Amino acid sequence: MLQDRRDTTIKSALDQTISRAGEVILGKEQAIRLSLACLLARGHLLIEDLPGVGKTTLAHLLARLLGLKHQRIQFTSDLLPADIIGASIYDRAEGVFHFHPGPVFSQLVLADEINRATPKAQSALLEAMEEHQVTTEGETHHLPEPFFVIATQNPAHQIGTFPLPESQLDRFLMRIELGYPDPRSERQLLNGRERREILENLEPALSLDQLRELQTSLDQVHVSDAILDYCQAILEFSRTTQRFNHGLSPRAGLALLRGARAWALMEGRFQVLPEDVQAVLPATVGHRLHSTADTGVDEGRSLARYLLESVAIP
Amino acid sequence: MSPDPNRKLSQRELLFLIVLLCLSAGPHVLHLQPWISAFFIGTVTLRLLALSRPALLPGRFLLFLLTVAGLANALAHYPLMFGREAGVALLTSMLALKLLEMKRERDIYVVVYLSLFALITQFLYRQEMLLVVYVLFVVTALTAMLMHANMVRSPSRPTGLLLRSGGLLLQALPLMLIMFFLFPRFSSPLWDLGIRENRALTGISDNISPGSVSRLSRSRAVAFRVDFEQDGIPQPARRYWRGPVLWDTDGRSWTAGDPIPEKISEFFASGKPVDYNVTLEPTGGKWLFALDLPHQVPPKTSLEADFQLIRRSPQKHRFQYRASSYLNYNTGPLSEYQRFRGLQQPDNITPRMISLVAQWRRDSVDDSDLVDRALAYFNEQPFYYTLYPAPLGDNPADQFLFDSRQGFCEHYATSFTLLMRIAGIPARVVAGYQGGEVNPIGGHLVVRQSDAHAWSEVWLPDLGWVRIDPTAAVAPERIEQPLDPDRISEEIGAPIDFMPVDIGFVGALMEQFRWSIDALDASWHRWVLGYSKKRQSRLMRLLGLDFLKGSRLVYAMVGITAVAVTLLTLTLIYRGRPKPDPVQAHYQRFCNRLKRMGLQRRSYEGPRDFGQRILHRRPDLRGQVESILRLYIGIRYGRMDNPANRRRLKQMVSGFRP
Repeated sequence: MLQDRRDTTIKSALDQTISRAGEVILGKEQAIRLSLACLLARGHLLIEDLPGVGKTTLAHLLARLLGLKHQRIQFTSDLLPADIIGASIYDRAEGVFHFHPGPVFSQLVLADEINRATPKAQSALLEAMEEHQVTTEGETHHLPEPFFVIATQNPAHQIGTFPLPESQLDRFLMRIELGYPDPRSERQLLNGRERREILENLEPALSLDQLRELQTSLDQVHVSDAILDYCQAILEFSRTTQRFNHGLSPRAGLALLRGARAWALMEGRFQVLPEDVQAVLPATVGHRLHSTADTGVDEGRSLARYLLESVAIP
Repeated sequence: MSPDPNRKLSQRELLFLIVLLCLSAGPHVLHLQPWISAFFIGTVTLRLLALSRPALLPGRFLLFLLTVAGLANALAHYPLMFGREAGVALLTSMLALKLLEMKRERDIYVVVYLSLFALITQFLYRQEMLLVVYVLFVVTALTAMLMHANMVRSPSRPTGLLLRSGGLLLQALPLMLIMFFLFPRFSSPLWDLGIRENRALTGISDNISPGSVSRLSRSRAVAFRVDFEQDGIPQPARRYWRGPVLWDTDGRSWTAGDPIPEKISEFFASGKPVDYNVTLEPTGGKWLFALDLPHQVPPKTSLEADFQLIRRSPQKHRFQYRASSYLNYNTGPLSEYQRFRGLQQPDNITPRMISLVAQWRRDSVDDSDLVDRALAYFNEQPFYYTLYPAPLGDNPADQFLFDSRQGFCEHYATSFTLLMRIAGIPARVVAGYQGGEVNPIGGHLVVRQSDAHAWSEVWLPDLGWVRIDPTAAVAPERIEQPLDPDRISEEIGAPIDFMPVDIGFVGALMEQFRWSIDALDASWHRWVLGYSKKRQSRLMRLLGLDFLKGSRLVYAMVGITAVAVTLLTLTLIYRGRPKPDPVQAHYQRFCNRLKRMGLQRRSYEGPRDFGQRILHRRPDLRGQVESILRLYIGIRYGRMDNPANRRRLKQMVSGFRP
């Protein structure tokens, strides 16, 4: 019974958050849910889509709803690592160098148009993402907790981009796409108030403590042997099928399971169902899969779909 | 405990190994040379003592000396190291020494395999059924020991291991039967290690003197068993099993003498012949026994002119033969030679014998009348039938007839024959068995040494050789009932009591048990030990497999084995595949029921998605489907997997009939 009550409180809190977000970003409930799940799973999120469909808005929205301190870094081709992680500056009065933390030292970092920057700048951020700390001039600086990176990028074939290498894509727990809004939502959008205004007046739906509690309860979500079997079957299939260039890494498997846990938790459940795995599957594996017949077009979604439909639930 | 070959053996394991080895090789102690047995017993005792005091274990050098001593011991008794005895002696000695040097787990394997080998050598001495039971038990125990050595997890209890190894061996039973019945047999043994099956019991011999048959009659040992075909078993009074025919006497004992150098004469017979199979225990003699009067003989046997069945070589093994006899016969005229032999007299005929016969001759009209008078004499005079007659001097016939008048069948038969010869009637003594008991369980006739008998044959004109049993004139019960030596008082001259006694319930039970064992033993010999190449080919014909002969049978065996092994491997692979657990089986059943109504679950469809699809199509099933799926999800993906929930799921799925 205790568990039931806890389930309902979590679910209502999260549902509230999602419905508030839905007021800002119209008709994108699935994307909102996925990004929330990604954050609950302590993963970094990559939003990929054309300019102007609301990527940045979504990132802002998440930051506000969760009441997190956030910084935005606009990635450009002349961005330097120091612009991200900060620099040591000589203090003439005291005669010592002082480290001035860069924008990466915040709870939520919005890395806008990450693929516009040079690989050097990209890797500075990605290292911070992986290690949760920054090392400069022999000094190690811890990043705040929680630490999320929401990166946005334009589709790779756009001009003036440096596509993220696979190894770095792998560090994002999920990649989501937003897509164009449906006509009804678009109408509402065109008709409504300025989004930015709504955002600024938005109150946080979850406190930081609540978020932390949610993150800890993620570990209590039961993963049965049957689910592990299913995940392994998926990984195994991705490695043996002829259609993929290479199979999914163990890190992808961990990401899939974490995502599924978060998804189950958001549904107010403390047990993972195959449906949870399936729900997060396209977002977690889409950016890690490449077709053998490399067409240059990113077909992550269809590959994930193929994977999902090919593996029977054991 | 893990199967580590270098692990030290525990005290318990050592004890078990010692016991097992003693069970396997120990029985040899009974028939080996005393010194070799002593070496075995001594070494085992040393090993047992060393269990509590390890200091007693000999070191390397001492062990070497002991080995040399054991070898010398064996060599001293069997210098050529050749043959069964020598081999077994060496094996037994070396096995005992192996006990002294077993320390580590790998020694288990060596000891077990050596024990199995030692066990097989038991069959070189005896092949009876009880030994087979014993050997099977020891093999089970040895297999259990092997299983123990291969256990990865903690040691199991000995009884559990024994049961499991017994189960294993039981699974090998069909294979054993196939191998036994179908494996190509050789008409002669593959190797001759001088195996002697059963030691010959002294049975009827061709030399009868007063006391020789009665001595034999004190034994209950089985002489032979008979299975009658179709016709049933003849009446006791007609069951005279003819053995050696004795022609010559020196006044004390009777012997067969020279064989009659004649071809068997044609004889006239009436009625149907009786066919039967005899399983004869080893006798050491050459005679086979047949009912009066045999007309068909088994192979390698000749039918003599006096109707003896003589084999070419002494019969040292239990063996079976088929014979056929006419119960009503007339042997027809007598040859001059036989008349001469049948009238020979020893030189110690006394005047009172002559006068007795002269008296009969005067009163009788012919020979057959005289015979009747002689029988009447035995009947009317105070003759006693006893197994323990008073000892007789150097003219036993005279003393028996006129003084002691206590005797067993040989006394009656020999003195009667002698009297007939004095009367000028050709006569001879026939030794053999009379009667026998029917085993009510096996349906066969058991003839024991206690049924040993001697009777007389006289030649009468018109009738030919006629069987006269003077014993019947004195003790007619002897012919009707078997004699039980256990019930006869050993007092000299004690009459034989034929009255059946009330043996009570326990006695009857014992009797039943005795007959069952006898029937089992008879079947064992008939079907297992007597399974010869001939029988095998008969079985093959019966099975329609007679085209498989010689090498073809070998190829067929190899082929069948290959196929069987392949099939077995496939079965094992098939059975080793991951099995759906019962919960999945119930869920599958649930899905199958929905499939029948056109709702097929997609392979990648999770239970919740599927449930929604079902409810979309069939909202009326909501209650049932939701509760089944909730339970299923709880068991499979949650923490609700317990027997009670599994049962509930099973019930709910069973009750789900859309």
